[in-house]
Amino acid sequence: MNLKRFYGMTLATALSVSMLAGCSGNNANNEAAATTAPAAGNAANASAEPSQEPVTLKWALWDWEATAYYKPLIDAYKAAHPNVTIEYVDLGSTDYMTMLSTQLSGGADLDVLTIKDIPGYSNLVKQNHLEPLKSYMSANSIDPSVYGGTVEQIEVNDEVYALPFRSDFWVVYYNKALFDKAGVEYPSNDMTFDQYDELARKMTSGSGSEKVYGAHYHTWRSAVQLFGILDGKNTVVGGNYDFLKPTYERILKEQEDGIVMDYATLKTSSTHYSGVFYNNSVAMMNMGSWFIATQIEKVKSGESQSTEWGIVKYPHPDGVEAGTTLGTITSLAVNQKSKHKEAALDFMNFVTGEEGAKVIASTGTIPAIKNDEVINSITSIDGFPTDENSKAALNTVQTYLEMPMHEKSADIEVILNEAHDNIMTKNATIDEGLKDMNKRVGELLNN
Amino acid sequence: MSRGVKDNLIAYSFIAPNFIGFALFTLVPMIFAFILAFVKWDGANPMKFIGLDNFTRLIKDSTFHKALWNTVVYTIGVVPLTMIVALALAILLNQKIMGRNFMRTVFFFPYVASLVAVAAVWNFIFSPTMGPINNILHTITGIPLEDLPRWAADKQWAMFTVVLFTVWKNMGYYMVIYLAGLQGINPELYEAAELDGAGPWRRFRNVTVPQLAPTTFFVLMILVINSFKVYDIFINLFAGADNQLNDSTRVMVYQIYNTAFRSLDYGYASAMAIVLFLLVLGITIVQFRGEKKYGQ
Repeated sequence: MNLKRFYGMTLATALSVSMLAGCSGNNANNEAAATTAPAAGNAANASAEPSQEPVTLKWALWDWEATAYYKPLIDAYKAAHPNVTIEYVDLGSTDYMTMLSTQLSGGADLDVLTIKDIPGYSNLVKQNHLEPLKSYMSANSIDPSVYGGTVEQIEVNDEVYALPFRSDFWVVYYNKALFDKAGVEYPSNDMTFDQYDELARKMTSGSGSEKVYGAHYHTWRSAVQLFGILDGKNTVVGGNYDFLKPTYERILKEQEDGIVMDYATLKTSSTHYSGVFYNNSVAMMNMGSWFIATQIEKVKSGESQSTEWGIVKYPHPDGVEAGTTLGTITSLAVNQKSKHKEAALDFMNFVTGEEGAKVIASTGTIPAIKNDEVINSITSIDGFPTDENSKAALNTVQTYLEMPMHEKSADIEVILNEAHDNIMTKNATIDEGLKDMNKRVGELLNN
Repeated sequence: MSRGVKDNLIAYSFIAPNFIGFALFTLVPMIFAFILAFVKWDGANPMKFIGLDNFTRLIKDSTFHKALWNTVVYTIGVVPLTMIVALALAILLNQKIMGRNFMRTVFFFPYVASLVAVAAVWNFIFSPTMGPINNILHTITGIPLEDLPRWAADKQWAMFTVVLFTVWKNMGYYMVIYLAGLQGINPELYEAAELDGAGPWRRFRNVTVPQLAPTTFFVLMILVINSFKVYDIFINLFAGADNQLNDSTRVMVYQIYNTAFRSLDYGYASAMAIVLFLLVLGITIVQFRGEKKYGQ
């Protein structure tokens, strides 16, 4: 008797629970859709004055905890726009662009999107996830020339889908204490590759736990391979890579002579570049300007024992002007399917504009708009090296993007990374590695 | 309602919650993947039907061939080695010896330990210049460090390293399964064999092995399927700062992931997934048949 009722109830409960679970998502969506006004169809007609309606924007980003400028940016924007609430969605830094693309394809209601790298950007453009910005830019008189040529480098078919708010470039970090101890003169703001190599050899000393390496190349492709593009004659999406030979020869020779740490060891032990700089085991290290803010902070917290440090301009090939370097941009874009396009565009405009640049610079990070005010604001941060050379190192004359815009850049990246890894671990000779790049990228470009 | 129908309804009602979950998160995506294999799709723009193009592309794709080959080599390395080690451990730890439970725990521990953590430890031990393995070898043989194998970073030795790691990590789990099998063997069989004058080797060959056949088939099947689906172990042992595997360590699941989510080629990735599925299905059918024939 009761058995039957018991079964009936169990079944009903089980089914209703699964129903609820299945529907809750939909309910939320329906409500959200019901309470928001229809999205503006065309961003071109968006006025420069956003409405005063309360609105919540979702901002996709990575490493919320470890990044100094997210919160100040949101706070600064909220101060001027109290009706806007900005929620962040942290997708983590590993494979961030993959996560973002997957989320957008699944229809996630993100409004403002942080763009981490060019291959990922190129993919999102192909997938039609990003709002085209040219009409908005002309309506709000945003001049692309303030971004130092980077916006032109990310144009796709005469349209722009993101604006940079950070523009990092590579410099050389050096440990003053180690140079003083060795009685060697500090690196200068104008070094050729050969001079850099010579200095690194001079600064290498000791063995075992006392060993000091003259230089350090992190396991990224960009830390080694891209010395080869600084003369402006070649790009990494051209399909022929023979021009990289001298670069690899120089770096592998340094590795063989014990001037730099062994790539295979670094890779298998997943050694982070910051650690080797903090514990005084490298005299010089080429790395992006994003490390400035981290190093300042870690000196204060005591984690970095390399308390006497400085930066100089990137080494360059013979006959190329000092201040020529590699760069990466971090940009903001707006989701084409955003329900609050106007508000999202306005927030993007703020972050990528001059006001946003001031906020970003105040945290020691290099913004995309680099005027004198911004540079001064960074160099006057407590903890920034006080010598003149370090201040001058922030002036660049030419920045080549680490990965230029190309519709197949994501696939090219994979091939170049693999071949680089094979050359650096000596699983392939330089010639074999370059041949492999030529062959596989060639096939890709001809398809 | 007749009694039988009611019983059926009751049974289905208990299966329902689980089945709904399976249908939503496994069955539907699987069917979707089968459809995707015949289209070109980047995950966002409209799909384009291209018939068997994805499959003809697979036949010519040397990168995929290499990934398939690496997966097969890995499987051939891992499966027999794991079975031998696990069975040997199970037989040893089935004896009444001191500290038996402690030893069982010790061998089972790698299986429950976090993969990320133990992979990091292995990578340190096998580090080409800093690791104890190479430094001990260097001290014993006098061969300079740079001429010793660079293990995980070495094209020749990477597969050896990952097979060794997998066997060590998973042997405890299969040991436990074998222990259960051993304890299910009727002790009278051993007594009878002993009375007939069979030595330990004869007893093992003519009692233990046949009695364990069903367990062995189960272990074999799980091992083969898991080896074909391997991904996380390779990523943790080999992928560096750029989260990539290269020619000597690329496996099928990694290739599928890369094709789908980095190259945004969902159709082509689905075709690869179907090939993987058919391979595993084929092997499983063969094994089931084998079990029917020999396992009873």
